Order: sequence, then C-alpha cells, then structure tokens
Amino acid sequence: MSQFDLLSRRQALCQFGGGFGGLALGSLLGNSATAAPRHSSAAPHYEPSAKAVIQLYMHGGPSHVDLLDPKPVLNRFDGKTPPAYVADDESLTKNLKGSPFRFNQCGESGLEFSEIQPFVSQHADEIAVIRSMFTEHRNHEQAIWMAQTGLTTAGRPTLGAWTAYGIGTENRNLPAFVALPDPNGPSVDGVRNWSSGWLPPRYQGTVFREQGSPVLNLQPKQPRPRAIEDARAKLLRQLNERHLAGRPGELELEARIETFELAGRMQLAATDALDLSQETKETQQLYGLDNATTKSYGTRCLMARRLVERGVRFVSLFMSGQPWDTHSNNNAGTKKCCQRTDKPVGALLADLKRRGLLDSTLVLWGGEFGRTPAAQGGNSAATSGRDHHPYGFSVWLAGGGIKGGQHYGATDDFGYRAVEKRTQTANLHATILQLLGLDYQLLSWPHNGREERLTDVYEAKVIEELIA
Amino acid sequence: MKIVFGRFSFSPILVGMLAAALLPVGANAQDKKGELTFEKDILPIIRAKCIRCHAGVDPKAGLNLTSPSSLLTGGNSGAALRIRAAESSLLYEKVSSDKMPPVGQKLTAEEKGLIRKWINDGAKGVGNAATIDRSEDVTGVDHWSFRSPVRPTVPVVRQSHRVDNPIDAFVLKRLEEQSLTLAPNAERLTLLRRASFDLIGLPPSPEEIEQFLADDRPGANARMIDRLLASPRYGERWARHWLDVAGFTESAGILNQDLRLPLAWRYRDYVIRAFNSDKPYDRFLQEQIAGDELTGYWDAFETAEQLPDEVVEGIVATGYLRTAADPSRPDFKGIKNAAGQYYFPTLFDTLQIVCSSTMGLAVQCARCHSHKFDPIPQVDYYSMQAVFMTAYRPDNWIPQMNRRLPIASKHQKDAATKRNAEVDANVKRQKAELAALKKTFTDRLFEDRLAELPEGIRENVKAALNTKKSTRTDAQKQLAAKFEKQLRPQAKKLDAALAKNADYKKGANDLNAAIAAEERRRLKFDEVRALYDQAGEAKTHVLLRGDSLTPGPPVKPGVISSLETPQPFEWIAPDDKAKTSGRRLAFARWLTQPQHPLTARVMVNRIWMHHFGTGIVATPDDFGVAGSPPSHPQLLDWLATEFVRSGWSIKHMHRLILTSATWRQRSRVDTQHRAACVPIDPDNRLLWRQTIRRLEAEPLRDTLLAASASLSHPMYGASQSVARQKNGEVLVAAGKNQNRRSIYVMVLRLTPETMLQVFDQPTISVNCTQRSTSTVSTQALALLNSDVMTRAAAAFADRVLTEQPNDPVGRAVLTAFSRPATSSERELLSQFFNEQQSRYLELQDEAARQKAEVIAAARSKAIADLCHMLMSANEFVYVD
Repeated sequence: MSQFDLLSRRQALCQFGGGFGGLALGSLLGNSATAAPRHSSAAPHYEPSAKAVIQLYMHGGPSHVDLLDPKPVLNRFDGKTPPAYVADDESLTKNLKGSPFRFNQCGESGLEFSEIQPFVSQHADEIAVIRSMFTEHRNHEQAIWMAQTGLTTAGRPTLGAWTAYGIGTENRNLPAFVALPDPNGPSVDGVRNWSSGWLPPRYQGTVFREQGSPVLNLQPKQPRPRAIEDARAKLLRQLNERHLAGRPGELELEARIETFELAGRMQLAATDALDLSQETKETQQLYGLDNATTKSYGTRCLMARRLVERGVRFVSLFMSGQPWDTHSNNNAGTKKCCQRTDKPVGALLADLKRRGLLDSTLVLWGGEFGRTPAAQGGNSAATSGRDHHPYGFSVWLAGGGIKGGQHYGATDDFGYRAVEKRTQTANLHATILQLLGLDYQLLSWPHNGREERLTDVYEAKVIEELIA
Repeated sequence: MKIVFGRFSFSPILVGMLAAALLPVGANAQDKKGELTFEKDILPIIRAKCIRCHAGVDPKAGLNLTSPSSLLTGGNSGAALRIRAAESSLLYEKVSSDKMPPVGQKLTAEEKGLIRKWINDGAKGVGNAATIDRSEDVTGVDHWSFRSPVRPTVPVVRQSHRVDNPIDAFVLKRLEEQSLTLAPNAERLTLLRRASFDLIGLPPSPEEIEQFLADDRPGANARMIDRLLASPRYGERWARHWLDVAGFTESAGILNQDLRLPLAWRYRDYVIRAFNSDKPYDRFLQEQIAGDELTGYWDAFETAEQLPDEVVEGIVATGYLRTAADPSRPDFKGIKNAAGQYYFPTLFDTLQIVCSSTMGLAVQCARCHSHKFDPIPQVDYYSMQAVFMTAYRPDNWIPQMNRRLPIASKHQKDAATKRNAEVDANVKRQKAELAALKKTFTDRLFEDRLAELPEGIRENVKAALNTKKSTRTDAQKQLAAKFEKQLRPQAKKLDAALAKNADYKKGANDLNAAIAAEERRRLKFDEVRALYDQAGEAKTHVLLRGDSLTPGPPVKPGVISSLETPQPFEWIAPDDKAKTSGRRLAFARWLTQPQHPLTARVMVNRIWMHHFGTGIVATPDDFGVAGSPPSHPQLLDWLATEFVRSGWSIKHMHRLILTSATWRQRSRVDTQHRAACVPIDPDNRLLWRQTIRRLEAEPLRDTLLAASASLSHPMYGASQSVARQKNGEVLVAAGKNQNRRSIYVMVLRLTPETMLQVFDQPTISVNCTQRSTSTVSTQALALLNSDVMTRAAAAFADRVLTEQPNDPVGRAVLTAFSRPATSSERELLSQFFNEQQSRYLELQDEAARQKAEVIAAARSKAIADLCHMLMSANEFVYVD
C-alpha cells in the first residue's frame, strides 16, 4: 500500500461520514503495520474513568425542591408571599409552595432524597447531586439545547455526538451513540435530542426501538425466504464489484459496499443486543418489566445496560412529551414520574454495579431546568403547579469515576437561586468530558471559520470535587 | 387530551386561563408604589458599600459602579448588569451571595431586594453602554476576496487543442504548471446522464437516450444541454440548491408540534420560477431582499386597482427574509425579555442567512465582538442589522403568523371591506328570517300535535309546557315528561318533522340558497408570508457581547466597511410619512453592484461546486481569511466577471461550464493518468478528472420514482405533507400526488421525511451552505428493506415487463443506469432472473408450479428483485 493510498483513505475517513460505514472503512486499513485500525476520531486526552455514558434525560424540568434539594424554610413559608429577593420576576407564580414529600438521609453518606425515590435513593453513596445548576433560558427548547448542546441556539451537536466523535466506538457492529425514544411518542424537540448538528452525520444517535424491529428497516416488512435473500445479496455484490473494478481507488464506493456488509452484521448484533428474553426473570423483575407502570422505562433501562455492555459509548433515554413539566398538579405529577422511572433507574444502578460496569459507566440524570418554589395556578396544594425555573436546579451523576454520596453547591433557603458553587452548564459538560478522558478545550471541530467546542466560549471549569 | 406547545402543557381549559395570564400586565400594584431609579435608590447603596473600590479612574477589576452607563460596559469580567435580568447580572450575583463587598458590611436583604427589583424593572437610568469593541482590532483588510475581481486575460496554454472555452485555458494552465493534463472526454451517454443529473436532477429516459444517440450532427451536446436548461424540471432542481442556502423550511422551528407555515410554499415557487426564467441574479437578490421596495409595493397598494404581477412577485420574493426560525406567537407579549429570548435570535439568523448565502461570509462572529479573522468590526454587524430593523422591530414585533400581506390593493381591500360588510348584514338578515320561519312552523307543529291530543287535557298540557321547568307543579312535570318530546321535538327530530312540511321546506331551502349565494359574494385574498417595513422609528444599538440586555451606542444602517465597492452604500432617511424606509433596497443595490467583490464570485463558486462536487473556493460559506483559498483564483475572477457581463445569467454559466472540456472529462481514468496526477494532487483540486458524485437525497428519491414510472409532475402550490408512522418512519402522506418531486415534499425542522433524511437532506437550523455526503449503513438498510423501495421495485418491474416483455433485463439496465447492458452483464442478470424465478417456484407445491398465474407471479417477483438490486447498486446511486 503506497503512502498516497493511506493518506487518501484517512482523508476519506474524515471527509465522508460513515457511522458504521466510517468505522468499517477504518477496518479496510487492515493489519498494515503503518495503519492500525482506529475506531475513534480522536484518542482520549487523558486516562478515562468512564468508558460509556447512560443519559437519563428528564424532559420538562423536574422539581428540584420536591426531589433532591430539601428546603425546610420553604415548607415553613408554605402559602406565604415570597420575600422580595425570591419574588417571581415574571409574575406567573404567587405564593410559596412547600414540598409535601419527606426527605430522608440515605446511605452511609446521608445524602438526602425525597421519599418518592425509594429505589434510586438506595444508591445514595454512588450518587453526586449538583444542587447549584442554573441555565439561561426559561423555555423548554432553548434550555434543552443548552443542556444537550451547550448553547441556547438550535442546530449544535449533542453531548452524545461529541462523545461519539471524541472516543468512537468499541463495537464495530453497533453505533457509538444510541438513542432510545419512548414508543409512545417523541419527546419535546424530537430528533434534535440526538442530533450531530454540524458534526458529520455518522456521529448522530441511531434510534433503537423497544418494540418491533430494533432499528428501522433492519428487516423488510414482508420477510424474504433465505434463498431469495441470499441470491439478492449476491447479485448486489456482483454488480457493485463490477462497477468498482472499472473505478479502482474510489474509496467512497468501497465504503458504500462495506455498509451493506455491515448492515448484515448489524442485523445480528442489534437483534442480539436487544433480545431481552436472554435476561433472567429476576433481572426483568428488577427493572419492573412485570409492571405496567414501570415496564416501558424499565425496558429502555435494560436495553441501555445491554448496549453499554456491548461497547456502545453513549445511550440516551427519553420519555414521550415532557412529563416533568408540572404546571398544574405538581405533587401528583412529580410523584407519577417517579413511579414510572425510579424503580427502573434504581435497577439500572444496581445491575451495573453487580456486573462491575458502574465504575466505567457514567449515569447522568436531569432535565433542562428546575421548577419554581412558588405555586402556579392557585393555592390548592393538590392542584397547583410549579413553573419553569432556570435560576437554580439539581441534576445528579453516578458511576464512571464520580465520587458519590455528596451534594455539590446549594440554592438559597427557598430553592430559588443557586448561590453556592454556582454551576453553569459548561462546567457540567467539561466534567463529563473529563471523565471520558476528553479535554473540553481540545475537543473541537472546525465550523463557521473557527474551532467550535461543546462549551463554546464559556470559561468552563471541571468540577474536581465530583471526581473520585 | 393534553395540549402541548413549547413552554406550556396544559389541559384545554387551562389554556384559556393561561392566555389570560399571559396578557400584558400593564401597571401592577408594585409599579404604583413608584419606580426605582439609579440616582434615588441604587446609588446610595453603592456609595455606602462599594465606592471604596469601584470608583474613580482606576477602579478595582476595571469596574466603576458610580456611573450608570459603566455598569453596562462593565469591567474585566464583563457587564455588571443585564437589563431586566438580575438573576444573571454579575452585580446582583456578587452582592446577593455576599461575595461583595469582600470586607466590611454586606448588603442587607432589603438592599439586595432593591437592586434585584431595580434591575428586573428595567434598570431605569442606566442608558446605553459607553464603549464598544472598536474596529481598531480588525485584521485582514487586504484579503483577496475583499477586493473587486479584475477580469484576467485568458492564458495561453500548450495543449490548445483541448481548449473549448476559456475555462479550459485557466484549468490547463494550472495543470501544465505541474506537467499534468486533462483526462479524455467521457463517453456520450456518461455525459448525458451527468448533464441530466447536474441540470434537472433526473436521469434521461430511454427515449431521450435514443434521441441523443441518434443525433450525430455537430453540436449534439450543446443541443442536449439547451434542452435540459429549457425543461421546467431545471428550476425544480436548482431551486433546491438555493433553498438550502436560504434555509427554507415549512415549520416555525421550535414548538413541539413543529408548527406548520402554510404560506411558505409561495416563496419556494418563486425560486423555481426565477431559475426557470433565468432571472438575472442581481434582480433575484434585489427582489428577495427588497422586493416590496423595488417594485413599489406601497405605491401600488395605495393607488392601483390591483397589484401588478411584478409587485406580487416582489413581495413573495421577500419570503427569503422569513426563513429564519421564528417561534413568535401573539401571547409572547407577556413574557419577560421576549425580544432578547425570541425576537433578536430571528434577526440574528436572518443576517447570517443573508450574508452567508450572498457574500459567503460568517458575519455572525461579529455579533458579540469584532471578527477574529475577517475585517468585520462589531459596529458593521449592527449597521447591517439596522438595514433589517425597520422591518423586524423587536420592540414592536409582529408574531410570525400575523406577518403577512394580502395579494390586494387598498382599493380592493376597501371594496372587500365594504362588500363583506354588506354580506354580513344580508346574511344576518337572512338568518333571522330563517329563524323566524322555523319558529312559525315550530309553533304550528306544536299546535297541530296538541290538537291531536284528547281535548280534555290539551289546555293543561299547553300550560305545563309553557311553564318554566323549575316552576312546574308535579302534575305539570308528569305531563311534560309525557308530551314534551312529542310536541316540542329537539334538534334532529324537529328538523325531520319540519322537513315533512312542503311549505317550510321550500321557504327554508330558498333562504339557505340565498345565504349561500350571498356568502359567495364575499371577497377574500390570497396572502403572502412577506417581510415589509413598519411605521415608526426603528432604533438599532450595538449589543455588547450580542446581548440585547446590554445595549451599546446606536448605529445607522450600513454595510461591511472594509469591502471594496466602487459604489458606496447610499441611503437617505425618507420623510416621516414614508411607508417604507428604503434601507433594504439601498443594501440590495450595494450588494448587486457589478464590481462587488463577493456577490458574483460567491454565486459562480456555488454553480461550479454543483457541477464538480467542490467549489473553486472549497468553503462556499467562507470567503474570509479562515476560508480555503481558491484553487484557481484567476478562473474564479474570470467567471465572476463573465457572470456580470452576461447580465448575471445563471444559465449562461451552466452552458459555459458544461461545454468545457474540463467538465466533460472522464471520472474513470486510466492507471497511467492516475499515477501521474495522484502524487501531485491527490484531492483533484487541479481538476485532472471529473469527480464521481453521489446523488443527493432529492434526486435519489426522484430517480427511484422515475425508474418506477410513478413520478408525477404537477408543478407549484402547497406541499405534500408528511406523516410520522407508528414505527417512527416519516413518509409522504398517502394521496393522489404523493409521488411528486421531492422539492414539493414538505420540509419540516423536526419531522424530516425518512428516505430524504437518511441520504443527507439537511436538517435546517439556520441554513445549509454545503451538504455533507455520508456513507452509513442506515442507507443500506433503507435501500434494501424499506417499504418505499420494495414498492418502487415492484413498479419498476411492472414497467419493464410492459415496455419490453421480450427483454425486461435489457430494459431495466437501460432505465436504471442510462446505458445499454453489456453482454456479460446481460448474462449475469439473465441467469439471476431465471434462477430467482425457479427459487420462487420451488417455494410452491408441485401442483401450483404448473399454473400459469403462479409462473407469471414468480417471473414478476424475480424481475422485481433484479430491479431492486439495480436501484440499490452503486452505479444507480453515483454519477460518473
């Protein structure tokens, strides 16, 4: 193989997207000593503590004061007018609304969780809660873009896409970034939740489905008999080989031929990865697959574990719509969300742990913002809600090198504004990248005439206190 | 049911309450207590607690807190406050967390509350920031693309026999410098297929292939190119390229339900018409940027009987300035900082679209600070924003769905108002007559049916039914229960009973017909999603760090000052009564002057890119310092000046390029040529051959439909909607025209049609200046297994079996690859066909295999498999 061939193959690798195709193209470089197959676009900058991420994205903005950030003062002033320094600046809420939920000190660390998370709270010692998050927009989409892509503007690559770009995949037959949407319908902002933005399309999330064929078009609607299928595949191969023979050195044609081979391998790999019947009954029950309320989210959590086990780097789980958006009936709504997700998420942490995967798998939990300490839509504790709240909210991280059993930062007495160790999204992103062995300043992509980063031009800070 | 949009998700009942809650609050109780001011309320706090460090000529951290405007300018850490946003203001953050003052007494809760409220109420007395990022920092003023192109002399080359037009001379010159040469001409049918895809985005039909091969007179190629350029399919192909850079979509861009823009298609049609009629490019840009001002929309509106076609075309063209994501709704008025959070971003995106599509510059960098690479100071960015400010007006925003113009003059609108008032009055009167008629006959029905009752109870029944329900006696209740339904039937039963009465029926029918006739007299007008100026003063400020909450000094409309343009930007403020400011027209004239350094270069580069795969400047959206340098600078300038000289004719440029030896080169080159060229120019930047190119998403889908003879060609009008299937796939909604060309398939930001998306149709956030070509296995899966492909293959098979029952294999290859099958290929395919047919038969039992219809079915399936593999093959998907 001449020096030129190597060069242009590498260039083709960069130039033409590839998803699996791109990876497969990497494998075309074969065992040549000068060109070891590289499945990732960039080598990690540091020794990573996390090999994979499972992102539990909580659309709508979960209520931090009802879940992770206990506020006794808020409870004491329930029903009262807020003091000037936490008065709603948009006049959409009125009186303060205490949380009806009891907070318990959990684990040896005594990290506090409200009573509606009985399963997740069992892993308190693995979890680090950031209580001092704030964001820059109070509308869902812009805040989602901030949480997922680093800025409140549309069209940028998501955290998952940056991860796929940064560390590639471990499994040639599965994509690096998998999105698991809710079969009941799209989440707010739909396909943009796993977009690669202006990164090449091969870094976008591939949707795996929990019902029916795991990947769209993995099988034809009408199954074809084996002999028929084989003959078709053989013909296609022959046609493409004849075509390529007249066009030697056309790397893109070679890569496309390889995508057909890979499609075949993926049929097996994806089908196998998502065959939950291989799991024991105990495991299925652990995730709540035997219960109508927990089955859907539990299925996706179990799928996530199986995918991470097989080398998928980033798995994002979504729920239809934005269930945490509790403008009315906040108490019941928040509780209901927990009923759907708490057991599966607890099971995921337990299962990862017992399989020895938690140390290398970073689990992220959180949404785009929190909710107001004051009530929206009347003063009835039962029916009132909470509005969007960007000034202070909580997210949590576990596994993958996180120092658990701690909370980081704090909001004021009412949970209105992050006041201690205020944490901008860029700091969270920089920390996640660091755990993956990536330097947020070095991980960049040329676009619009400059090197763009996940954290854009923010002066980000890796939160060392969170890292074990 | 839950209604979910954007920020709010509520039950329908709550939506009403919510709308009420979102109305502008006006003066609320707090405001009445008196507004906080800097002098009266804030300065005393600062004097007491901050002045020791943050005052004077050399304040700590560069922050002087004693002058209101310096709060916005800020210090070393940026602005100290953002107007109406205390929560993200540094001043509030530092004092509320007691980080400041570092020593001495902290602020009291009351003082913190005052500062917060003062900021959130608008920071009265703060004014504008005093200083901005000045243009001294600007670099790169000597960059080549900021200077007007000068028409170069066509170079003399050694291999003059290969020069068919000046393009070849420029290209050969560069090749010869490296001792290289052009590849030989491609074969005729390769050229036909290449030209067809380049110009119309569809393959040649078998008939067109035959005609082309039969034309052996000189100039056959030129005639073929002329035929393609004259085809209405040409505009459908090239409009798509422009719609990419214009960022055209048919949804608003943010709301959860991907809110549709029902009028957007008119702009798409305008672009198709413009390409088909070879509208001069300067005019094309002028119309899109200032069509209303250029064609005198307001004059025509005020004085003409009806709007002339040219004026309608002009306002439709301004749809170009309406493609930026705009989620605004009427109820946003109550949202805090709606301008900063929603309206300004639309304006930012618009400027980005205008500048990247027409000038190939990434001006958005200068939104927050002077451009790091290009000579674009921040003040120039906002001067250009001022051009569009009179129309967009974040301080007086028109929600996106209301920002539209009727296709009507004032005269027509007035006539319509008058006519429709008449119609309203007449219909009201007629409906009253109808109600009266109904009452008469209902009463009569009552009396008639009452008369049927035994005489003894008639009066009692009548009295009972005429008594209010709540005051009826028990006896009356009984009577009512028994007879009310009969005597006073409700709704449908009443109508049925009345219908039996011929007199009523005739009377009612006559009246209903009269109402319908009256309604038909109502005058309505089609509407256009346009951009137009609003009355009143439009102020534009430099925004510090691009943040509308930290406004800097005001600016006047202007352009990028460092661009060398013989004609400066000329704009004179019109008098107060003018309906439109003329700013956009002045900008469009400046932009389209013949010697503008960028306008012609950027467009010819785009045209070139779509004929060769890569532009002469490989970064079509960045002609700036950080962009890639042109591979053939002289050729670029020659083409740019030729473009202007031809009257900005895009079709002229196609003809030139497609009749050049450079374009006609083979992409498949022999080993010798390859070995000579690759070491010197591995990326083919010098054009020693043509580049093999994959079909883009739309031509690919269109070609699948064309091969299966199901492509339908109704031009223009509303788009074909798409629908998400249960399995997550998004398909064109089933219906009569579902197989229209892809340019008529609705482009939604969050619901992209699956086949198009898989093959890299861009997901629009702002605009797409260059598509990426991915090679991923989801494409393989879509080709092999999607239902769309399976059906297309079956239709393709039917077609070839009908067209050439004796040689379906030959016909299939000709249709799919635009060339006759070779003999070895014919052998391979025929063998597959026969064996596959046998395999299908073997799946049947012995008896069935003998039946003619079973044999025919196996034959159809086998040829469908063959067609399916041809359509999945690389030769189908790539153009040589």
